[in-house]
Amino acid sequence: MSRREWLALSAGAATVALSGCNNERPITPSLVSIVKAPAYDQSIYDTMRRMLAAHSLDVRGRNVVLKPNLVEFEPESSINTNPLVVHAAYEAFREMGAASVRIAEGPGHRRNTLDLADAAGYFKIVPRFEEQFTDLNLDDVTRVYPNRQFSRVEKLYLPNTALSADLLVSIAKMKTHHWVGATLSMKNLFGTVPSGVYGWPKNVLHWAGIDESIADLNEAFPRQFAIVDGIVGMEGNGPIQGVPKYAGVLVAGNDPVAVDATCCRIMCIDPFQIGYLRLASDNDSHMSERNINQIGEAIADVATPFALIPEFQRLRTVKS
Amino acid sequence: MLSPAFIPMSIGTLVNKQNSDGGWPYVRGGSWTEPTVYAVMALLAAGETEAAGRGLRWLRKARRSDGGWPPRLGIDQSGWVTGLVALLPPAILGEEIHRSAVQWLLGTQGKETTRIYRLREWLLGVPSPVEQDFPGWPWVPGTAAWVGPTSIAILALQRENRQRPTAPIQSRIREGQRFLLARMCKSGGWNHGSSNALGYAAHPYPETTGMALAALRGVKGPKVEMAIAVAHQFLGECRSADALNWLRLGLRAQNQMPPDFCAPSDVARRTIPETSLDVLVAEAVRQGRDVFLNLV
Repeated sequence: MSRREWLALSAGAATVALSGCNNERPITPSLVSIVKAPAYDQSIYDTMRRMLAAHSLDVRGRNVVLKPNLVEFEPESSINTNPLVVHAAYEAFREMGAASVRIAEGPGHRRNTLDLADAAGYFKIVPRFEEQFTDLNLDDVTRVYPNRQFSRVEKLYLPNTALSADLLVSIAKMKTHHWVGATLSMKNLFGTVPSGVYGWPKNVLHWAGIDESIADLNEAFPRQFAIVDGIVGMEGNGPIQGVPKYAGVLVAGNDPVAVDATCCRIMCIDPFQIGYLRLASDNDSHMSERNINQIGEAIADVATPFALIPEFQRLRTVKS
Repeated sequence: MLSPAFIPMSIGTLVNKQNSDGGWPYVRGGSWTEPTVYAVMALLAAGETEAAGRGLRWLRKARRSDGGWPPRLGIDQSGWVTGLVALLPPAILGEEIHRSAVQWLLGTQGKETTRIYRLREWLLGVPSPVEQDFPGWPWVPGTAAWVGPTSIAILALQRENRQRPTAPIQSRIREGQRFLLARMCKSGGWNHGSSNALGYAAHPYPETTGMALAALRGVKGPKVEMAIAVAHQFLGECRSADALNWLRLGLRAQNQMPPDFCAPSDVARRTIPETSLDVLVAEAVRQGRDVFLNLV
């Protein structure tokens, strides 16, 4: 046994010993909805309205910021959140009485954000898109001092548009990820970290710990709602070089951990194997199905295994 | 894209968009170092000195105690934009200030090539990939090197080497160029610097291909030839102002700019850097100068 293996085994044994000391406390289940969405067509607008209505969000007079996943653009790929999903959310929040709804993103690979958005179809789908859009990479920023920090990021600057939102809506794509297993609503928050400060890519987050950085970002935005575009996601070598994977669902909720754990189950991935989910949930509480009030479609009826790269085969669960 | 007749309009845009503190935003809002440097460069190249002077004062004020520059005022860390500042002529920026930028660049490298990190990896038995053999420059100190900041740093040191050549500067230029060649995508050209992740070959981007070609001026060989071919292909299909600017700058540095190329006039310039670099390309064509090596 190597020294590294011995250390890991000892840490695991200590954790098991200590966990036996904790008493369970009652937990309010988090509401997560799964709705069928067969295609990227006009029916999404009504689907989105009904899905959001089930969550009784009161956004009247509030500033809502929608944060899609916009990474790169390659034709025939499923890298980015579909603009129809984003526009459907935009229209729904406006109809719910939001004072303002903005779309905002800070891509981490390509510097020309609006060109990316244009190539991804946002200018065609969202009327006056440029007026509604904020490039989070180039936004005014504020240094954030977390109450609780998981990563080794020494100085965290975040964009004011995201920090000042009354509700930050992470509209992610359902994808596998070659470093963390799955990228869903929480990993999508990487796009809030300004590349104008940290570069393209935001390598500081990788050095500080990817899982830990995701957990930090989740803490930095306490007023969140999560929507995951699982109509056509990505499997294999995600989040960029994988292949499209049809799942035909939208998933939503105001607890990103619960939403992402539910998405993992749809993908036939064990959420308890996802490092950032474990970090962000208190004692794994909101990852457990018993602490999730899941409405809409049953997971068993929509679950479909997302192909995993060899390094992540250990994440696989059996389709239930 | 600019024909000489439209340069005054773009200069007018730059002057109008200057913030009251003398710096420039990317699009709107507070001043950042990158757009300020590019705007100053464009204005100087076009002979517009008053607004450029205010920008230079902003840049001088932004310098940090370690001799580097932050991405913007209020960010408590120097970073890759120090290379951009070092592109400005020392006689105009200030000799001592310029020297501090060069020294900062010489003292900075990607974390993956530092001795301590390599020793740690060796002790852990982690193999070091060949593309990590050469030190480039990171976006932020304490992180890995990437194509963008490495290209900018090389351009700045090439500029310095023309006037004050030293062995350390020449060594870093050579090592940086080796870094770029090692990080080239399998199909030619460059993306941000991760050409191969977990065994999967990644694709190049037009803007970083242009930046790397600009930094590889004077370097010959099959890899550069492959990259030039990729750049020519990108040039014909690209619809991004930033990418078109860098492709043209890179191909000009390699003396491989197609003489009959006419950039599409309907590609939007959405940011101050895009407008500024467009002016720099136009001025380079009009004046027959290399704007990185010989701005004014």
